[in-house]
Amino acid sequence: MSTETNLAAKGGSVTETDNASLCYQCSRCSAGCPLAEEMDLLPHQVIHLLSLGEEDEVLRSNTMWMCAGCYTCATRCPNDIDITTIMDEARAKAIAKGIKCPNPDVLTFHKSFLRDLGRRGRIFEMRMMAENNICKGKPFDNADLGRKLFLKGRLKIFPPKSLRGFKRWMKELLKR
Amino acid sequence: MSSRIALYPGCSLEGTSSSFETSVAAVFEKLGIEYDTLKDWNCCGATSAHALDHELYMALNLRNLSLAEEQGYEEIFAPCAACYHRLASANLELSNNADLADALKSETGLNYRGSVKVRNVLDLLTNVVGRERIEAAIEVPLSGIRVACYYGCLNTRIPRSDCFDDREYPMSMDRIVTALGAEVIDWSYKTECCGASLFMTAPAASAKLCGRILKDAEARDVNCIAVACPLCQNNLDAKQEEIRAKAGIPRAIPVVFITQLMGLAYGIDERHLQLESSIVPFNLKPAGATT
Ligand code: SF4
Ligand code: SF4
Repeated sequence: MSTETNLAAKGGSVTETDNASLCYQCSRCSAGCPLAEEMDLLPHQVIHLLSLGEEDEVLRSNTMWMCAGCYTCATRCPNDIDITTIMDEARAKAIAKGIKCPNPDVLTFHKSFLRDLGRRGRIFEMRMMAENNICKGKPFDNADLGRKLFLKGRLKIFPPKSLRGFKRWMKELLKR
Repeated sequence: MSSRIALYPGCSLEGTSSSFETSVAAVFEKLGIEYDTLKDWNCCGATSAHALDHELYMALNLRNLSLAEEQGYEEIFAPCAACYHRLASANLELSNNADLADALKSETGLNYRGSVKVRNVLDLLTNVVGRERIEAAIEVPLSGIRVACYYGCLNTRIPRSDCFDDREYPMSMDRIVTALGAEVIDWSYKTECCGASLFMTAPAASAKLCGRILKDAEARDVNCIAVACPLCQNNLDAKQEEIRAKAGIPRAIPVVFITQLMGLAYGIDERHLQLESSIVPFNLKPAGATT
């Protein structure tokens, strides 16, 4: 399973299992996308390029890395295309193909999160945030936020309960 | 109410947003709604699992759904909108995609018959508890308070499924807040995204989105924004000072969980509601309050 979807691992096109070919370019997805202004390619352009087989241009874009996963596009598409999940697949495929991530902080965060998840089965927020800072090379990032949350008693200093057998379960899962 | 309900707290409610969990517990006790906490639950993977690895996200949620089934629950309720979205979407995909479901079950060694229903807190309050019971528990009506109900993205956005409320202009939270005696406003940002995990990964982009939401709420003269998601609460609250400075918003706006507002109307001790844990202070006293 590793950090790629099954589909990407098989080398298939990211649109293969979805109905992206049904897209008639109404742009409803892009019109409602809250992150559109941050993206190289708009969501409808992503779908268009994918259905034309121009996958590389999509995988090199920052679009899926700036996607917040809000599902506005996916719930509005008149053709029931799950654009948000296609963004997930594009991300996985870009990683599998070794394409440099244009927003490394996004990738680093997700990796820190999953690493922490794999330790106990639940997230230890303080450690995850500290580790994420170190991994992205900005040790004092969000220090002010951390301090505020800590003073309000919201940043717990002890890790959550460790689930029995979880670490191995997840390790086995990722091996496949 | 006959079916057994399990609470899936998720990592935020056990961590930075424990005020959501304690206020849910206090309010449900007052309403006489019984539930247990799901035993042995694991993290739903939040944004990170599905962002990088679809099968990992599915497996994590399959594990929680199987636990609920094994432990004899017919329903899971997940107050965190992101947890809710993950659990409910995975549940849907497991029932729609038999090949994937079989593959996952054999890989994970988990068996799941698909008997569990997933709800968020708005769905549960609206469709299981109902307005009558919500109103019956009121001790201090929230009169004189103007509230912007902010649903965020994930409470109403599970693709290819029936939604418990209107996706584009939901009203479930507005009805609850109205029942509490407060005034709700009509505004443009009910379901606009706050940036979710971009708050951590692309803070400038998320701050822009939060600035617009706060600005619209402020312009409509509300006393607070009510939310039903720990990400929404955190993103609109934790860095509000900086966001306001950038967006030119003249006054601070408290961001509270719907269950904290309910708790106030139910006369629940503020300690159980953890109102003081928000960064923007929330010290509204309803007009009907005695102290
Ligand atoms: S909303 Fe759907 S049909 Fe319209 S452009 Fe986007 S993907 Fe294509
Ligand atoms: S899910 Fe991503 S692409 Fe779709 S509307 Fe939201 S931010 Fe845009």
